[in-house]
Amino acid sequence: MSKITIPLGPQHPALKEPENFMLVLEGEQITGATVNLGYNHRGMEKAAENRTYIQNLYLIERVCGICSHSHTTTYITNVEELAKCETPKRALAIRTLFAELERVHSHLLWLGVAGYEMGFETLFMYTWRDREQVLDCLEMLSGNRVHYSINTIGGVRRDISAEQKAGVIKRIDYLIERTNYYIKLALEEPTVAARTANVGKLPPEVAIERGAVGPTARASGIARDVRKDEPYLIYNELDFKLITHNTNDVFGRLVVRALELVESYKMIKEVLNNLPEGPIAVKVPMRIAPGECVNHYEAPRGEDIHYLKANGTDKPERLKVRAPTLANLQSVAYMMEGGWLADVPLVIAAIDPCMSCTDRAVVWDPKKGRKQVYGWEELRKLSIEQYKRRGVDFTRL
Amino acid sequence: MSEFAREEKVKADIEAKFAGAVTNASVQRKNRVWLELEPSRLPELLAWLKAAGFDHLATVTGFDEGENLGAHYHMTDTKMLVNVKVKTPRTNPVLPSVLKVFPGALSYELELQDMLGIKVEGLPPGRRYPLDDDFPTDQYPLRKDWKVEEYLAKNPLFPTEAK
Repeated sequence: MSKITIPLGPQHPALKEPENFMLVLEGEQITGATVNLGYNHRGMEKAAENRTYIQNLYLIERVCGICSHSHTTTYITNVEELAKCETPKRALAIRTLFAELERVHSHLLWLGVAGYEMGFETLFMYTWRDREQVLDCLEMLSGNRVHYSINTIGGVRRDISAEQKAGVIKRIDYLIERTNYYIKLALEEPTVAARTANVGKLPPEVAIERGAVGPTARASGIARDVRKDEPYLIYNELDFKLITHNTNDVFGRLVVRALELVESYKMIKEVLNNLPEGPIAVKVPMRIAPGECVNHYEAPRGEDIHYLKANGTDKPERLKVRAPTLANLQSVAYMMEGGWLADVPLVIAAIDPCMSCTDRAVVWDPKKGRKQVYGWEELRKLSIEQYKRRGVDFTRL
Repeated sequence: MSEFAREEKVKADIEAKFAGAVTNASVQRKNRVWLELEPSRLPELLAWLKAAGFDHLATVTGFDEGENLGAHYHMTDTKMLVNVKVKTPRTNPVLPSVLKVFPGALSYELELQDMLGIKVEGLPPGRRYPLDDDFPTDQYPLRKDWKVEEYLAKNPLFPTEAK
């Protein structure tokens, strides 16, 4: 049979982000794959050189819609290391709390997307409904669902009150119950196993060679997790297991992420119950003494690494950001080779896609010059009223 | 410096093995080793580090120091980070490719070529990354003398839409 090369993307069914995969097909089977990137290059590293350290905090937060806390924490660890700043213990604990809440939010989102890609849309609906709980926690603590902006140089911006703590624990208890159901589902549901087992194989030696990170590497049996290997924040004081799985396929990636959720819940509760007392931030000078340093961080998708060079002014000389997806993409090309065309969206999605969302609208009335923020309930009421005017009454349904 | 015994040992081993090619080796703190290397020995050193357990090339950071361009290769065994710095003259910037040792480094090396104009010898043919296909090939945005304003003055955004 003759070989055909087809492009998948930049706009394609697997991710909501632009990426192009050139697939060489022999019938339905893939014999070769190359990844082409760069459609979304925003020149952030150059932009960072023209902004002050504090301005960069808000720029770096927007590197990713989901790992926003991961990137700022890595960046800020570098800045604080160069500034020789002693960050208060309470601030580090709050950063850890946000890091784990972010992991829960990211993994639940991924579970839903994986469910969607394998044709199990009920799982998608379930996990995304439950993900609202953790987004509510983040909103309650920081004021925002996605870009929390909790970090500031020298500490964090907001403290946690007793009511907030109780609210988070209540929601986490609900999520623990739901996650146990998902784990049962992942391990016992035959359709899930049939759709994910032996799909997107990545043997451990290839994973190492191609530099895979995070859950992608851990599902190939590689015990790599920056939280364990070089503990940052307060991870050396927390009790959690490093989850690995040895099936090397999408099924393994599903199991690793589901079990990691349980570890995150444990850590969230542990941090909240043992929050150290004290200040939440210290002052750090605007100018940072010359020097260079590099730090890594376990983001939900894997190792995130930043390099920072300071030149004595209030702006960095060079900032390098390497997000985990870039490290994992070389493995995706391998995973697709020898597989089937129909598995491609699932294989790509298995390293974890990225999206940001928001559920409310701000309406500005120029005549009255005032702003009004509509929440979910109000938007729902408005839509019901609008349909009522058109003769359809949804309240009776 | 018994506090950093492991770091000192890695540093001493590299210095002994690559005597003459390594300069400015230092232990910055726990788990951080920095050193500068003769560019021609780069693939050899990375292969040696890989065999010694540093089997993850975390990333490559390109830089512009004025007279010299260059790159940091951040190698890790997941616990310790060994940062290998190589420099190459601005007038003829060339670095050897490390793809034979780390096939996963492809996007990092393409980035050095596109963003800093460092020619990486031994790269396979293929599309450019990360810049756009119609971005000028003689401009390197991460060089310090490249200014966004100057570029935009010469290349207005979306020329097809400007009426």
